[in-house]
Amino acid sequence: MPFTDQEILETVRMFELETFDIRTTTLGISLMDCADPDLESSAEKVYAKIVHHGRRLVEVGKSIEADFGVPIINKRVATTPIALVAAACGSKDLVPFARAMDAAAAEIGIDYIGGFTAYVHKGFTRADEALFLSIPEALAETKRVCASVSLATTKAGINMDAVAKFADVVLKTAALTASEGGLGCAKLVCFSNPVEDNPFIAGAHLGIGEGETVLNVGVSGPGVVRSALERLGPDASLLAVAETIKRTAFKITRMGELVGREAARRLGTVFGIVDVSLAPTPAVGDSVADILELIGVERTGAPGTTAALALLTDAVKKGGAMASSSVGGLSGAFIPVSEDQGMIDAVACGALSLAKLEAMTTVCSVGLDMVAVPGDITASKLSGIIADEMAIGMVNQKTTAVRAIPVPGKGPGEKHDWGGLLGTAIVQDPGAFDCEVMWRRGGRIPAPLQSYRN
Amino acid sequence: MTKRFLTAEDVRRLGGPEIQLESGTVVTPQAAEVAAAAGIRLVGATGPYVPPIPDRGPDASRANDVLPEPISTDGIGLIVTVVGRNRPGVLAEVTATLAAAECDVIDISQRTVGAHFHMVLTCAVAPGREFAPIKDTLQCLGGEGDYVVRVMHEKVFRFMHRV
Repeated sequence: MPFTDQEILETVRMFELETFDIRTTTLGISLMDCADPDLESSAEKVYAKIVHHGRRLVEVGKSIEADFGVPIINKRVATTPIALVAAACGSKDLVPFARAMDAAAAEIGIDYIGGFTAYVHKGFTRADEALFLSIPEALAETKRVCASVSLATTKAGINMDAVAKFADVVLKTAALTASEGGLGCAKLVCFSNPVEDNPFIAGAHLGIGEGETVLNVGVSGPGVVRSALERLGPDASLLAVAETIKRTAFKITRMGELVGREAARRLGTVFGIVDVSLAPTPAVGDSVADILELIGVERTGAPGTTAALALLTDAVKKGGAMASSSVGGLSGAFIPVSEDQGMIDAVACGALSLAKLEAMTTVCSVGLDMVAVPGDITASKLSGIIADEMAIGMVNQKTTAVRAIPVPGKGPGEKHDWGGLLGTAIVQDPGAFDCEVMWRRGGRIPAPLQSYRN
Repeated sequence: MTKRFLTAEDVRRLGGPEIQLESGTVVTPQAAEVAAAAGIRLVGATGPYVPPIPDRGPDASRANDVLPEPISTDGIGLIVTVVGRNRPGVLAEVTATLAAAECDVIDISQRTVGAHFHMVLTCAVAPGREFAPIKDTLQCLGGEGDYVVRVMHEKVFRFMHRV
């Protein structure tokens, strides 16, 4: 075992001082065989199957922590989109599925479960529509269930009717969870080009191309990248910065690979992918904004921020791709505003506007994430924000998402603290102008020329 | 009957003194409740129903053993790092604990900086010994204001620093 002291101390420092961790081990469970003409029976099967497969998930996570000395923060479950499972029962109220998922998650001891999901990027089935209508109540009534919907893809274009309906769903969810600052919306996300193996909540679900069960891992390490750049200093060239980030991402991903393989082996299932994403938390030092500022922008949101983020996202992907044959999910840099102390500070000092944030999402790995908007935002304006983000994803053939939270009773510049991992948000100003005519037109934005590749 | 699940509705419909289940059938908690209330026995292939071992699907059996790993020349290894305030006896305490756990110290290095020290030990674990209890015992050594022991599996370093 010929490791040098330097190698050993570097690894120990990552875990001890730089808040490196395996952010999540997510077990994907196919619920395709839970379809039933009877709603209650179908929900029963959903509960039974999640518990049946997920029972040992937490125990296996803990045993790997004990055996390798590597912290695994979250253990979660992602399921087949419920709209597919529920289609057979024909019910208009799909909240019983959310209750079953919530109860199963509680039984196996996990904090979140993803998969209250529908794909509507081209059109609605009856079950998709039922799921949309059920989302506000499902999220208000349950604690652990996360909902996601696909509103656009490069191949299909943007379903603007779905965008408008989704904006209504967001507003209703915020209203139903008004006493908690619209917290239900933190569990609700829409996608353009969703990935089927995303292990991160709230967008986690098990796509239809996946197997019976699969174990995906999400690793994170903004703190590690930040420390490496601090050591590099401000005089190194950007090539050296990219190289440093790449090397760090490589090491982080290797840990994900080790944990993923081991967790899959212990559960007796397939190891799917490592999602190497720099996912910030409100903890000091665990911030993507800090990395951007170390690369050299005075404050996140200043000119140069998009370029710095492009460098960061690309270098993370390259390091990850070298480290594992199974890099998947979203892999890149997340920029959830409320969960990143550096981003909150940037918003507070006026450096980071909603417009700049949108520009940044063209090169980050997700999109507008954990963005607080005024509680009285109109449905048309919210639809516009969502449609813009979907368009970025559609044209650039990348995943983009919107997790916007209308904070009831709060206006631009006001603060709201959701506590815990969700952090503190400052309500962003969406501007004075609306897009009502476009919103009223409805219909579909056709697929772009980029999609014609056959 | 061949079914992947037995639901409460199934139990009500099938009725009878007992329901014969194929191996691998998952009985939902609601079905078990209804069956118990109606006095219906749920019978598997070899006696009363027991929840089956999860069937993880056709991909699972051939998935993981074929992945290549970085080459290891030894058995299970530990990397022990110790950091703290220097005083006589620290090395003795750590190595005595390792000896009691039948760990062979392969490499050791130590530096002192002023009143503090850090130490890195690479150890091989005897065959048949488990990692977790050794780790727990070692990490109980020292304490606040004295020194801190961290124990990690050699695989962590192998994955991170060797390809």
